Amino acid sequence: MNVSLFITCLCDTITSHVGKNTVEILERVGCHVDFPELQTCCGQPAYNSGYLKESKEAMKQMLRAFRDSEYVVGPSGSCVAMLREYPKVFAGDPEWEEAAKDLASKSYELTQFLVDVMGITDVGSTFKGKVTYHPSCHMTRLLGVKDAPMALLSNVAGLEFVPLPLAEDCCGFGGTFAVKSPVISKQMVTEKSAHVIETGAEYLIGGDMGCLMNIGGRLRREGQPVKVLHITDVLNCQD
Amino acid sequence: MAIYQRESFLNRLADRMGRARRTEAVERPKWNHQPQHRVLSGLSQDDLVEVLEKQCAVIHTVFRQTSSSSLADVLKEVIASYGGKQLITAKDARNETFGLDQLYHQLRADGVETHVWEAEKGKENQVIAERADIGITFSDMTLAESGTVVLFHDKNHGRSISLLPQNYIAIIPKSTLVPRYTQMAEKVHRQIESGQAVGSYVSLITGPSNSADIEMKLIVGVHGPVHATYIVVEDR
Amino acid sequence: MGIKIGSPSFKERVQEGVENEFMRSAVSSAQGRFRNGRLNAAEELGNWEEWRSLGEEIRSHTLENLDYYLEQLSEQVAKRGGHVFFAETAEDANRYIQEVVKKRDGKKVVKSKSMVTEEISLNEALEEVGVEVVETDLGEWILQLDEEPPSHIVAPAVHMNKEQIRDTFSEKKGYGASSQPEELALFAREQLRQEFLTADIGITGCNFAVAESGTVTLVTNEGNAEMVTALPDTLITVMGMERLVPTWEEMEVLVSLLTRAAVGQKLTSYITSITGTRLDGEVDGPEAFHLVIVDNGRSKILGTEFQSALHCIRCAACINVCPVYRHVGGHAYGSIYPGPIGAVLTPLLDGYEDHQELPYASTLCAACTDACPVKIPLHEHLIRHRQIIAEEQERGPKTEKWMMKGYAKWASTPAAYKMSSKMARTALKPWTRDEYISNGPGPLKGWTEVRDFPAPEKENFRSWFKNRKKGDE
Repeated sequence: MNVSLFITCLCDTITSHVGKNTVEILERVGCHVDFPELQTCCGQPAYNSGYLKESKEAMKQMLRAFRDSEYVVGPSGSCVAMLREYPKVFAGDPEWEEAAKDLASKSYELTQFLVDVMGITDVGSTFKGKVTYHPSCHMTRLLGVKDAPMALLSNVAGLEFVPLPLAEDCCGFGGTFAVKSPVISKQMVTEKSAHVIETGAEYLIGGDMGCLMNIGGRLRREGQPVKVLHITDVLNCQD
Repeated sequence: MAIYQRESFLNRLADRMGRARRTEAVERPKWNHQPQHRVLSGLSQDDLVEVLEKQCAVIHTVFRQTSSSSLADVLKEVIASYGGKQLITAKDARNETFGLDQLYHQLRADGVETHVWEAEKGKENQVIAERADIGITFSDMTLAESGTVVLFHDKNHGRSISLLPQNYIAIIPKSTLVPRYTQMAEKVHRQIESGQAVGSYVSLITGPSNSADIEMKLIVGVHGPVHATYIVVEDR
Repeated sequence: MGIKIGSPSFKERVQEGVENEFMRSAVSSAQGRFRNGRLNAAEELGNWEEWRSLGEEIRSHTLENLDYYLEQLSEQVAKRGGHVFFAETAEDANRYIQEVVKKRDGKKVVKSKSMVTEEISLNEALEEVGVEVVETDLGEWILQLDEEPPSHIVAPAVHMNKEQIRDTFSEKKGYGASSQPEELALFAREQLRQEFLTADIGITGCNFAVAESGTVTLVTNEGNAEMVTALPDTLITVMGMERLVPTWEEMEVLVSLLTRAAVGQKLTSYITSITGTRLDGEVDGPEAFHLVIVDNGRSKILGTEFQSALHCIRCAACINVCPVYRHVGGHAYGSIYPGPIGAVLTPLLDGYEDHQELPYASTLCAACTDACPVKIPLHEHLIRHRQIIAEEQERGPKTEKWMMKGYAKWASTPAAYKMSSKMARTALKPWTRDEYISNGPGPLKGWTEVRDFPAPEKENFRSWFKNRKKGDE
């Protein structure tokens, strides 16, 4: 399988280890991974705030970057969900509609790609620890990826899993929402943090760095010992 | 019988939708999804009675079942359990068929005021219903899934009977049971299509009245009856 | 009352909501109950998604042919002795109702719960002409006595505790017993029973009108709509123009979706279908029946991409899953329609000027879209609102506009993008302690007021990827 990595601007800029994990996991399961350097940002920050024109500038850049890719795989349900909206955004545009449809049809979130496309639910990883999982809203509801992460986590040797109460509740990140509506966002992330503590888990795992930075940042501010990891940290762990 | 300002109103709607007014018969499409017909399908009347009984527990309704010969006795028991002193019931041919006329006669003799709703009495019926402590009616159709009594009211069966008194007793002939609301709606729809008008008032009653408006605590018995009993009876 | 409620400042309303501890815990526990109710009811049915799809089909077809079905409805109502008034505006509706009440020499109105009558400020219009109006839905009666607006479309007084209710009853009605819900309800029953019996006019809303027979169907648990429609001699039903179905067969489907999605019940205690005036010889039911069909801005939504917002059956399932609603409560929305459906509808009915914050009071988590029994794409409508607000009407803050322009440049210029990614760690070094930023500059400030922000990692991804490739060769 020839896979182009879609690293996402968050991982490109801040949490690069997630990108490294993703490359290594894909290679371990037999994919050849390339990295189109022209990629930037999927457009969500502007799109979700209502700045369609500006978001399209970012989207076109992405369409250019992945034009020749066979598969586009990224470690973020939310960002890949945005890519899958491109056909709607560029509907009726003679210049970009085809490319948009093409990109949407070949883009996958990592766990989705492993389970649904490659048919793999065991990546041969080991992770010793008590873990709880936050299913991000865009990954589950917008992209429709609900079972793949758990299917993979259930085959990680040594992992003890504890379900997160009211897991499906939003963590309060919502991209720019966290900054535009700090009062409400604070209430939401505080509630989510309390649920995480309730589980007694040592680790909080998730598939979207946006959510994890939000919840993790809050847990740290509260002085909580819970460590926050991206699912690729667990899936790429072999000790 | 007047209709006001319709044309300008509806023209505006058609305008907004960028088309001419639709005044020719619009056909309902064949819906792609029709799950409602499969609910509780293929069950016997006895099965439906079982479903009804289970549902009664959920809707705070007492469930009784009896043969037609014992109906009068069971009804008398339930009336006594509610401490009934003033009853109101509809004028219904089934009162005779199931031997209830006799029972009511007997109760009157025992000092229990038993009124039959009669159109000729006019507003007085309502006043009697207001004073009554028990309203008793037969069920015209019974929806097993939800535990619902369907009443097609007419001049001999006022709404007030099952609404105003504190206690309500529904006598449910087994044959009136259908799986769910779907069958009742289908029946009424067919009636209307065949040119038969629906009555002015059709009630679907599911147990006693309730509310959770105060701190989400369920309170049974608000404006309508506080207690309800269903008596399922073998048909005559 | 009108659509707008509360203070004009969204920020103030949110702050008030967040600080109201009782309300928040009441709303949270109510949400839990409603949510579980809906989920259990859905599970019991077994094929909830099919039901939702059918609900969507029915609503789509009806709205696409709204003029046809409204015409059919009006013909049928007239055939059964009723009068039908098509009201383009709230004022039209109120004026007509005032006239009806005057003609019938009405002194006292008993009302069952109706959101559309709140929307058009009907109670005020009636009081203007000297008519006493009594709300009879328990929650609405409490709010009426307290002179407060509803905070939820199904459980209007969810924000009040029983002590507050007892105080209201004692102050306004001389109530002397305890704050136990059963006693409070019994008092309400006694008080309102007298009102029902002495009222000359009944006013209801309309859950679903049935076009084929001119029928109005009302869905309640309390039995108050039954009292309102059975006892007074005059009945006025006020209906949002989109609240109808073609036949009884669609009506039962939508009622079944409503009762499950709203309160987790298979059916509520009372579902009453009223058709026209009472017939010869009947005692219960009205002598005069008036159906008032209200537009009040709904037609603006027809033919636009927002049309599916009119599919709403007012079940509040979206309100019951919304985390934002849980934390700020209904009043924070500043509209009688709160929560996700409120954020979608309110700007459409009442304009963007006073309601531009509402579409942004959401993380677009789409829990509402998932919960809607008729599959309205609520979160997509919120995004569309944002586009109109930010781009088409340019109501966004200037700084934001500039930032977005900067973003567009950055995201479409790989050189600039790569540079910023390389420089990020260094740029943030002054604020970094132990690989985290707790008091960030500029756009990070809002973030770090609530939570820490991770410093960009030492090894940049692109360098790592380039170097390992070199390493392989």
